[in-house]
Amino acid sequence: MLTKKLSIGLVCPYGWDTPGGVQNHVRDLAEFLISAGHKVSVLAPAIDESQLPAYVVNAGKPISIPYNGAVARILFGPKAFAHVRQWIAAGDFDILHLHEPAIPSISLLACWAAEGPMVGTFHAAAKHQKVIYAIGPILEPAIEKLSARIAVSEAARLTLTNHLETDAVVIPNGIYAKRYANGAPQERWSGNTIGFIGRFEEPRKGLQVLLDALPIIARFAPDVRVLVAGPGDPKEVEESIDPQLRHRFEFLGRISEEDKADFIASVALYVAPNTGGESFGIILAEALAGGACVVASDIPAFDSLLGGGEFGALFESENSAELAKVVIDLLRDSDKRSALARKGKGHAQIFDWDVVAEQIFSIYEMALVGAQEITLSSENRGWNRFLSKDGDKK
Amino acid sequence: MKIALAIAFVVLAMLWYLSFLATRLDRLHHRVETSWANLDGLLQRRAAIALEIARSESCDPASSLLLTSAAYQAREASVQERSSAEMALSGALGLLIVDGHMHAGGAEQSLFEELRLLSAKIQVAISIHTDAVSSTQMVRKKSAIRFFRLAGTAPLPVTYEFESDAL
Repeated sequence: MLTKKLSIGLVCPYGWDTPGGVQNHVRDLAEFLISAGHKVSVLAPAIDESQLPAYVVNAGKPISIPYNGAVARILFGPKAFAHVRQWIAAGDFDILHLHEPAIPSISLLACWAAEGPMVGTFHAAAKHQKVIYAIGPILEPAIEKLSARIAVSEAARLTLTNHLETDAVVIPNGIYAKRYANGAPQERWSGNTIGFIGRFEEPRKGLQVLLDALPIIARFAPDVRVLVAGPGDPKEVEESIDPQLRHRFEFLGRISEEDKADFIASVALYVAPNTGGESFGIILAEALAGGACVVASDIPAFDSLLGGGEFGALFESENSAELAKVVIDLLRDSDKRSALARKGKGHAQIFDWDVVAEQIFSIYEMALVGAQEITLSSENRGWNRFLSKDGDKK
Repeated sequence: MKIALAIAFVVLAMLWYLSFLATRLDRLHHRVETSWANLDGLLQRRAAIALEIARSESCDPASSLLLTSAAYQAREASVQERSSAEMALSGALGLLIVDGHMHAGGAEQSLFEELRLLSAKIQVAISIHTDAVSSTQMVRKKSAIRFFRLAGTAPLPVTYEFESDAL
């Protein structure tokens, strides 16, 4: 790594206090860079300012907007723009790293307002291609200011090349592999258990697919239990389950990071039946790092993360009969299960922050070659210089 | 009066647009230059490492000669010949690594490791540079830019034909 300590500005478009993959990624990256000795400031929208860590600057209250099959809490508008400009002017940054700059958010505003070495990371693999087609020409002048682009997966890179006609380097999302490597199996979660982690109320997380598969699984594996961890109200889901199978379900609510490691180490199978809208699948990387045997739908992101089935079993997305078949097959064959889990654990090391942050940092180094530090672009425009001189005379 | 105002407005808007385009183009040219400076620096370092490997003991005289000449050619190549010279160096290094990696001593081992890291960086630098070049070429095709000669005397950036699997 570069020996010179940098002043790095990270922009997170989504509400800091709502859980999500991008937020986690920005948080982990910021903490990693800080521990490496760099000066880091994160600009993010937030609802409750008092809960923010010291390195986060609040950009204002986010608004909820449906985007890409989920509700996104983002922020834009003139007031946010003023915040962004203030942050850039006060920050004295060497480099800006913008997350998800292709959606209307403070990342895009920062890209608009700043001048100098900027790196953008694209997380989403957009489903609604027509929308991007329509806004592509508007985004282009802003996006082309980025010195380098990173996509978190091949799926995200394809979205970028297809719609914005620009290429990106693929660097996966990072996980702290060590945190998950030493989970202790817990009695209460062991046995013939199927684990699921996520906001189960969101249809795209695919809990319904697992629910539909359960009657078949239960016929072949009578002692099977499904453990669902994640925030949400289980009542509605519970009512939709066949009463005879209801006792096979356990809703654990949101679990802590330590519990998560134990959970992953305990369950016989980890199932990710997501139906789409997923660009990377960080939870799968974590499950692999924790040594779980993973079963996932074959959406592009999961397919590439699991190496086409090499590091975890795949089933056709939204096909609960096939899911049931794969699950039963694996529940019966513990050798196959542990072989798959072992392979997956080895593969998960490439997602470790030590590896990923180094890759991101080498992109920073490249963006910094021959560049000056970050300024507001309005200061560089000829007419503004002229206007401000005029103002001084008066 | 109204017509005069309207014309003045249109002219102002056009001037603003042209200035916007010019800034945009200037920025892109800058991006091409910096990404090339980055790539050039990495390639120079690779040539230096290649020379060091050529001088090391694990290298037999024949591959030493091959490597030395390829590295010098890459270093001294003109802009037009650069990409083919770099590709020749990639080829020479590839031959040596497949052939000679096995019986490399401790000192050479660290050279090879450095070369491996550098190669990964070069790949990324190539894709960043190619991207800068192609966006610049695309913007320069815009009729407003051509008509008003907003590019000035800046030469149109050329795509370097680096093989994507360049070592």
